[in-house]
Amino acid sequence: MHLNATDIVREDCEQVAEEVSTLEALRGECLLITGGTGFVGTWLTELLAFLNDRYCLGVRIILLSRHVQDFRDRVPHLALRADVSLIQQDVRHVTELPSEVGWIIHAAGTPDNRQHASDPLRVMQVIVNGTASVLEASTRLPDLKKLLNTSSGLVNGPQPLDLAGIPETSFRGLDCGSLAAVYPEAKRLAETLCVAYRNQHRLPIVNARPFAFVGPYQLLDRPWAINNFIRDALQGGPIRIQGDGETVRSYMYGSDMAWWLLRILVRGAVGASYNVGSSRGVTLAQLAEMVAGGLPKRPRVLLGVSPVQRLHHSRLVPDVGLAQDSLSLRQTVDLETALRRTIWWHELRGRVEGADRGSKSP
Amino acid sequence: MTSVLISDPTLRDGNHAVQHQLDARQIALYAAAAEAARIPIVEVGHGNGLGASSLQVGESLLGDREMLETARKRLVNSKLGVHAMPGFATINRDLKQAVAVGVDVFRVGVHCTEADIAQRHIGYLRDKGREVYGVLMMSHMASKEVLAEEALKMESYGAEGVVLMDSAGAYLPCDVTEKIRELVKSLSIAVGFHAHNNLGMAVANSLAAVQAGATIVDGTARGFGAGSGNAPVEVIVAVLEKMAFSTGVDLYGVLDASDIAEKGLMRVIPSITSVSVVSGLAGVFSGFAKHVERISGEYGVDARDVFFELGRRNVVAGQEDLIIEVAIELAAGKRGGGCI
Repeated sequence: MHLNATDIVREDCEQVAEEVSTLEALRGECLLITGGTGFVGTWLTELLAFLNDRYCLGVRIILLSRHVQDFRDRVPHLALRADVSLIQQDVRHVTELPSEVGWIIHAAGTPDNRQHASDPLRVMQVIVNGTASVLEASTRLPDLKKLLNTSSGLVNGPQPLDLAGIPETSFRGLDCGSLAAVYPEAKRLAETLCVAYRNQHRLPIVNARPFAFVGPYQLLDRPWAINNFIRDALQGGPIRIQGDGETVRSYMYGSDMAWWLLRILVRGAVGASYNVGSSRGVTLAQLAEMVAGGLPKRPRVLLGVSPVQRLHHSRLVPDVGLAQDSLSLRQTVDLETALRRTIWWHELRGRVEGADRGSKSP
Repeated sequence: MTSVLISDPTLRDGNHAVQHQLDARQIALYAAAAEAARIPIVEVGHGNGLGASSLQVGESLLGDREMLETARKRLVNSKLGVHAMPGFATINRDLKQAVAVGVDVFRVGVHCTEADIAQRHIGYLRDKGREVYGVLMMSHMASKEVLAEEALKMESYGAEGVVLMDSAGAYLPCDVTEKIRELVKSLSIAVGFHAHNNLGMAVANSLAAVQAGATIVDGTARGFGAGSGNAPVEVIVAVLEKMAFSTGVDLYGVLDASDIAEKGLMRVIPSITSVSVVSGLAGVFSGFAKHVERISGEYGVDARDVFFELGRRNVVAGQEDLIIEVAIELAAGKRGGGCI
């Protein structure tokens, strides 16, 4: 069977969509996604498009973004669909939303820490002013059922190394005098804005705190360890790790993330916050070995490639008990599979861009 | 025992000292000696790095490709490094060529408050799987807080270390300690230091950097470099070993390499001249020295006055054309003499 990169994602959507009846409230509804052309928005659109095609869910999808043309170029199979509309707009300047919008996933704001360091004002404005604009415009919608604000797992502050998973209720101080606080502090304020709008305007808002993800549509030039490892591996290696590789992260596959977000949108309690991510922590050294093991010709893994005086260990792993227990959510794609499918997707994309030839399913 | 990574830009910074006229025989000679000495990184190129050969900052005798290929043939265990300044070095023309030639280590240098312009270069090189460091040049011109924020940008772009460059030889050891310590505290990646010897502080400053947590130190044979030169690599290796730091460099080998460089590369061994002292006090890039001395002679003005005026104008590398402007103004009596 010959597959292309799009087929991989479609298979993922098919696998994750187990209890579609739980999304019945979305049937025939209009859902707006801000930041809709990014990693989160693209996966949500893939999943909704699949649900429309397979289960006739009839969701009309509106993607609001500054990068509409890029989306058309990158994923024409989504951009050209009749059930997908695109609005080119800066989220900071939203004043009016289409009146038929009944559901909103507010996902604007980049987690790219290169932009946090280089353009912190813009990052803060997009998150804070953008959230305020969307919330204000939402107060004028005639029939808003629910708004999901996608925050960040970083709002909880640094995770103690001995805490296996950080729950939604655990908060530790951020150093607001540091540039590293730009993104999480802006996300914190955005969450508090949601609280104020829920209180004062009775907006039905639920909050999600995404952690780290992996999967198709995540660009390999992004400055995160997993992307760098996959990129190095696809180029034949070696996979280079700064320090001793003992920093701990966890990763959820894109299809699980999209499914969880839709379920939280529909079933999540107004006013609640839910962690979205994998509870399985891995050290970066383990992760690199897993990535290397996913390739037929295993690349070398190099630890401590440059001498570092002080090792900065950190841990970022969510406790997802709330989502699991109250919304019956579970992670369906394990990390090994997620890495294998991600690498496969990138290989297929590379081949399509290079020689436009198909591949057989492994 | 703490390890310190020695990076040797004799064949790059030293090119400043000979108006970028190092020839293939000289490059091959020193590269082979550095390889024999087990020096980890040997930096090669025009004094201002890839793509810099020009009328403005001086034309090199050899093109980048020839210099790099010549060194590449002699370096087996030692890594071949280059300095690349966005503005001189372009991705399509220069970085691609250097990657193709087989350069192992890229050091992307920018003015100390302009880390943003390094993003594309660092990103491109990481994407090619190369070892990349960020270099904050003229670092005496920014506070430790600003340097830490600029260095954090480079870390976010993918740099595997950040090197503070004392381009003007303006630091005292206490300045180095303060700034390196701040970077070590703020970054998750390696921190390095590149000294110039205008005030006779190159070795002391390098040691202060290591004691403050730097794990990368630059040194050149006999200090062969711009202005009054750099920290002599043979002294750095010897003193670090005495202080119980591990460099992996063979002491006799690096002493031999320095002897070879002195005889084979240098017209004169770098020394602290009156002008270079003034350059250090004025905080002006050491690479300006030969231009300032030549132009001052042409216009009949005191080179020291020119340096102090350039310092007042906060000039940085790449603004060499201002030297003539300052000399003309001084010659016309528009400005007074230098004092601090």
